[in-house]
Amino acid sequence: MMFPKKYQSITVASLLILMALVMISYNIKLFSHTGFLRKLVLEATMPLVSLKNKSLKVLQENWNHYIFLIGLEEENKHLRKENALLSNQRVQYQENYLEAVRLQRMLELKEQMDVTAVAAEVIDRDQSAIIKTLLIKKGTSQGLRVGLPVLADRGIAGRITECSWHVSRVMLITDGNSNVDALIQGNRAHGILQGSGSEGCHLKYITKTEEVKVGDTVISSGIGGIFPKGIVLGIVKSVDKMDGGLFQKIGVSPSVNFDKLEEVLVLVFNSGEGK
Amino acid sequence: MIYYFLLLPLVLLLVVFQKSVLDLFFFGRIGVEISLILVIYAGFRMDTIRGAFLSFMVGFFMDCMMGSVSGLYTLLYVCIFFVSALVSLKVYAEGVILIMMFTFLCALSQGLFIVLFYKIIYDVNMFRNIIWVFLPQALVLSILSPVFFKMFDVFKGSLNDGNPRPAKRS
Repeated sequence: MMFPKKYQSITVASLLILMALVMISYNIKLFSHTGFLRKLVLEATMPLVSLKNKSLKVLQENWNHYIFLIGLEEENKHLRKENALLSNQRVQYQENYLEAVRLQRMLELKEQMDVTAVAAEVIDRDQSAIIKTLLIKKGTSQGLRVGLPVLADRGIAGRITECSWHVSRVMLITDGNSNVDALIQGNRAHGILQGSGSEGCHLKYITKTEEVKVGDTVISSGIGGIFPKGIVLGIVKSVDKMDGGLFQKIGVSPSVNFDKLEEVLVLVFNSGEGK
Repeated sequence: MIYYFLLLPLVLLLVVFQKSVLDLFFFGRIGVEISLILVIYAGFRMDTIRGAFLSFMVGFFMDCMMGSVSGLYTLLYVCIFFVSALVSLKVYAEGVILIMMFTFLCALSQGLFIVLFYKIIYDVNMFRNIIWVFLPQALVLSILSPVFFKMFDVFKGSLNDGNPRPAKRS
């Protein structure tokens, strides 16, 4: 061993802590860069995550359609099976219809904007208290890159923060790190929409002189160069002017229901193109 | 060397399992961080090099899977590992109560550190989460920790010589 055994623990501790600190500072400085190792881990876990989601879906379907049939009377068995089959078909038709509606809405959104849009399936979501992210099944091979805006059928979902070859991570607008330049549609008051984790979002830097009401729509301002102007971000859910500071405390409820998000649309701008 | 080759896929599997499957039981509200219990276990019952490497890798995989800033969980887990190792040198670290209390303290401190980190770096006020998220999370983890310590003992025993007794620290 290079070091006396007495100092081994201290040496290892110092080295590892130093490495972790270097990683943090490097990552904070170059947030837009996805390291090769992170890409590898994302790629390696993608099949596992997809498999888990598919198994859960099958399990849920089985639970909904078949488990309740177990133990029923023998003479009703045939009829109930047929009923389950029909219900299953109906659910599938319904599912296809809802999917078509969602895709139609996204298509309309895509047509409104003169950019290339890539539709992507949501394969996993991280909904812990602070970190709010999604994994989508498209990556650099499909032309995605870090920083691109991600839309859902109801408005802005977030932006890509990590991009592997076939999978990307989307930071939602409710994530603690997310800041989006925003406008209140009615009075054009300008502020920054910051994610607050489980509490949704809050709109910062709106002075107390501005008249903001619960129910006002918050839209993207287009400033900042990531999100196009005029896309819905959310609805004002609370306004507090009682605080001692210069600004109002405005709570915003995101327009997108992230728990039920299944497909998203990534807007791919050509480098240097204005948004 | 086999340990290090085996470790990577196993740790990755553990992190994926805890992030995806265990989240379902608590509807994503409370994260059951078995990885934290594993790091404390490593601090109590493994030698420095192996335990530190394990903690570093678990932390790194957590960073990748959670989408947090690279190094945040890595730093936290390495620190928790060394604190656990220090504690195990000073006290008898086999008692169930001690394991539960220590896990509770570590989970809570970790939550506090994350909230402070986000406050300092990104100016996000998440202090309410300490009571509504991190406190229940720490309670659940502390209750589960003795069970997982037993499981890790059995697993470690089967990897070594079939002896489930914890290794003595040199």
